[in-house]
Amino acid sequence: MEEQILRLPAEQLFQKEIDALIAAEKYPVPSGWNMSPQSVKTYICGGNVNGTNITPKYIGHERLVEIAISTLVTDRALLLIGEPGTAKSWLSEHLTAAINGCSTKVVQGTAGTTEEQIKYSWNYAMLVAKGPSMEAMLKSPVFNAMETGTIARVEEISRCASEVQDALISLLSEKRISVPELALEVPAKKGFSVIATANTRDKGVNEMSAALKRRFNIVILPAPATLDSEMEIVKTRVSQLSENLDLNASLPEEDVVEKVCTIFRELRNGETLDRRQKVKATSGVLSTAEAISLLCNSMALAGSFGNGVVTDLDLASALQGAVIKDEEKDNVAWKEYLENIMKKRGSEWSGLYMACKELSGE
Amino acid sequence: MDNPSFFGIRHLSPAGAYYLRCFLDVKQPKLVLVEGPADFNDILKDITRKETKPPIAVLAYTKEVPVRTILYPFAEYSPEYQAILWCNERNVQFRFIDLPSSTFLAMPECFPANTDEGRTNVYMELDKICGDDGHEIFWERTLEQAGSLEAYHKGAKNFGANLRNLTEGKEDNWAETVLREAYMRQQIKDAVTSGINPGDIVVVTGSYHVEGLKSWQDSNENFKGMPETEAVHTLMPYSYYRLSTRAGYGAGNKAPAYYSLLWEGFKRNEPGYSSYSYLIKLAAYMRKAGSPVSAASVIEAVRLAESLAMLRNGSRPSLRDLRDAAVTCIGEGSFAAISLGMADTEIGTVIGTLPDGVSRTSIQDDFYRQLKDLKLEKYRSAICQDIMLDLRENRRVKSEKAAFIDLHRSFFLHQSRILNIKFAGQVNTSQDNATWQEHWMLQWTPEAEIALVESALKGDTIASAASFEMKERVENATNMGQIALVIEDACYCGMEKAAVYATAALQKIAVDTISVEDLAETAQRLSIIIQYGNIRQANPEPLKPILSQLFYRACLVLEGACICDDAASQVIIDAMEKLNSAELAHDFLDKKEWLKVLENIAIHDNLNTKLSGFAAAILLERGNMDTERLRTEVSRRLSAGTPASLGAGWFEGLAMKNKYALIARLSLWESLNIYLTSLTDEEFKRALVFLRRAFAGFSAAEKDEIAENLGEILGLDGRETSEAVNTVLDESSQEIIDSLGDFDFDF
Repeated sequence: MEEQILRLPAEQLFQKEIDALIAAEKYPVPSGWNMSPQSVKTYICGGNVNGTNITPKYIGHERLVEIAISTLVTDRALLLIGEPGTAKSWLSEHLTAAINGCSTKVVQGTAGTTEEQIKYSWNYAMLVAKGPSMEAMLKSPVFNAMETGTIARVEEISRCASEVQDALISLLSEKRISVPELALEVPAKKGFSVIATANTRDKGVNEMSAALKRRFNIVILPAPATLDSEMEIVKTRVSQLSENLDLNASLPEEDVVEKVCTIFRELRNGETLDRRQKVKATSGVLSTAEAISLLCNSMALAGSFGNGVVTDLDLASALQGAVIKDEEKDNVAWKEYLENIMKKRGSEWSGLYMACKELSGE
Repeated sequence: MDNPSFFGIRHLSPAGAYYLRCFLDVKQPKLVLVEGPADFNDILKDITRKETKPPIAVLAYTKEVPVRTILYPFAEYSPEYQAILWCNERNVQFRFIDLPSSTFLAMPECFPANTDEGRTNVYMELDKICGDDGHEIFWERTLEQAGSLEAYHKGAKNFGANLRNLTEGKEDNWAETVLREAYMRQQIKDAVTSGINPGDIVVVTGSYHVEGLKSWQDSNENFKGMPETEAVHTLMPYSYYRLSTRAGYGAGNKAPAYYSLLWEGFKRNEPGYSSYSYLIKLAAYMRKAGSPVSAASVIEAVRLAESLAMLRNGSRPSLRDLRDAAVTCIGEGSFAAISLGMADTEIGTVIGTLPDGVSRTSIQDDFYRQLKDLKLEKYRSAICQDIMLDLRENRRVKSEKAAFIDLHRSFFLHQSRILNIKFAGQVNTSQDNATWQEHWMLQWTPEAEIALVESALKGDTIASAASFEMKERVENATNMGQIALVIEDACYCGMEKAAVYATAALQKIAVDTISVEDLAETAQRLSIIIQYGNIRQANPEPLKPILSQLFYRACLVLEGACICDDAASQVIIDAMEKLNSAELAHDFLDKKEWLKVLENIAIHDNLNTKLSGFAAAILLERGNMDTERLRTEVSRRLSAGTPASLGAGWFEGLAMKNKYALIARLSLWESLNIYLTSLTDEEFKRALVFLRRAFAGFSAAEKDEIAENLGEILGLDGRETSEAVNTVLDESSQEIIDSLGDFDFDF
């Protein structure tokens, strides 16, 4: 049964690690939590517990993880801010998986999210038949989290309309939810908190109100600081994903990962890694997450239509798809990058350069 | 036999200072020995005076040039400082036992290792072992937060011993360490031999040295032959800012203001004091700077910091936890938003004070006396402040002193500028407010104090030191410009004697000078002093003869210097300009000679034609060349047959000055027109290069007028011509012009 599921939640995927950590617990566990803050950190940043290897889930910026965990210890809500693809949701999922063993109490913020989805709504058939009652009420994930003393996740909070965002204010400051229809006040159990994520660079986001921001401790997740840490992240995630997805292709070589990360970092930062040359930045955000999916795509290409090894041509078409989001502008930036930077990089890059050039139709 | 009690500390450690006092209270020693230069014992009485407020430092310096210095800073939370106070309060003997500073200063090869550099390796190693963002935080978490005297005493001892195991013999300055420890051992033994029961002695040293001193009984050394140099020391005020830059003896600390909060917390016996007062102060700063920070955010930050500390198994937040909590809760995740507030809360602007007359060198006394006299005391602060000086006499006040106070301030500030005392910096202002105004930025720094003490070798007062400095500069001067600069400085400083001395030196050097450039430069400087010096009450008379002499000399050599290539001509043009304005400003200069020289240069054909043109331009400007002569000269210079480069070069020189006078003279343009039409194609190309350059200096409006002139001559519409002259080149013309770049000019 399990094998049929496309994407297992974190707590099931890493069940073994979580169990090992709980079994080896040495520190006091806050109420409502499954393990101590120290163990949560080990779960996220990796380590070894009684012979069980804990894979690192979030690489680099360990201190930010500490701040995030500490925030949740103080019952404050946590807001993770960052550019697209800086592992905000990833971090929030794993935090809840470790703390509560449940990462599925999620409200996905979209332009169409309503206040009901954050608080509660009704099963209208039952409402009409029986009138307002507990059975007729549909509790939101946040409501559930308050009742059970666990952590709810609100994804992409800045994509919700402002009035919907602000529905969280009273929940976070009063720590109770009122249901006037049933003359009911539900207080949150100890351990309740919210992890929200927000995007800084996407189009179509609504500015968060200061009142709401004040109720969060804000942690800004940066893009990976160095090429090495970015490569590490990409390699780890690609190998995890390819296992899940049965991609039938061998993992990309070290130098392939390095090339992709180099290209992404250079186009993202607008300069070459050695900081000697300026590069025209592209319109899209070339995040680490994008690099990961790019490599998986080329593995899928190689697995399905090639000999299972990622070739320069596979990589080139995936790269072109990722980089060129806005046909006109990005095309120019990409061609410039090919000619001015990649072409001059020497023989290791020449295969990729030729493939890219061929694809771009010249 | 008993052993003395050893107490390991870290310099600048609040916990160390606090527990050391506890330790002394428990032990009730009769003698306290502290790591610190043995020849500093005489300053103790000044350190303990009521008016002395740390941070202060002892500065030891050599009495000979080059001056070498060492600094021993003390903050209020320095264990050494508290030990001194403790002994003073209870009348217990106190002694420094480290190598005397005179020996430190005599070991220049060891000296750099005494600052941080030599130990960096050790600390880098330590950083790796400690994890947790380095040994600084490790130390804070483990030892600054020690809950009891025993915990601290033992912790520091272990820290020192382990550090020693890790690095013994590997340090760059190991030889120095060995020597120092031997010296300290001998001092302990001497103290015991003098009859004090070892059990009544407490020895306070860096925790690193504790192990090295245990074997004091075996010490039997003779330090007679140690290198020594003549050294003096003085107390000086110090600043938290300077402490934070980790200069000087022992480790500094990055966040002195925060450490003083830790110290305050110990004194109040309130363990959490430093955490919340750090965040409260930060929030207060942010509010003052205009960003609203609620008390709720501060509370959340305190809670987050505590929970971060818990994650590291610390009992209280360390500075790192506080900073991260502040970023998260007060700065909304962004460090940049609160970085200024952090700097203020962690480093601060505190500076120490000393009572008047304490152990200062006479030059320090003079400096502070003058600050008081000139009412500049409020500028003795770590914050940079502006001051505008009006050098003119203030006629509304009674005393002469008050009338000229700004002038005297200016003299004083210029004198300290010459001595490189970084107390005052002059801000360049536009000439709008003329020469009677000066704008200065004043900021007191320990560096200024150090420079001040170093100047002690040059004289007993600021003025005498400045005069010595100027004399030195005159003696070392290799060209006239440098001496002229001294004369100028002397004038700024209101030091007439120095000016006279430098003038005499200038005369000597002038005799051998043939460089027009130097002569003109110097003449210009002198001319300015003579013109405007009276605002500074400078007497111009002694300068006049030397200026005449220089000017005459320049007249004599100028013509010869005009035989040069185009590359060198610009320098001569500058010189001519300077000489001309000097001549115009002063009646006593030889006008006849000057005009004669200009005439010669303008007429002679064997000189650089650009310079001839420029000389003609000066004459024209001064009204010594009438239209008729200009016309003849133009036709002569631009006549057919003259190589194009020479003719056009001449025109370029002519066009560098008084453009309006040229534009107004229609005849000039006629001659130019005739000249151009007479050229062959090849010659025209050559001339074009020079002419383009000459006309580059004209503005669009001026080109307009030239166009009108040309229009009149050629019978064209002025406006159309103007348009043609002023448009940017199109591509094809640009190509033609570019092709001239390859043109071979040397045929």
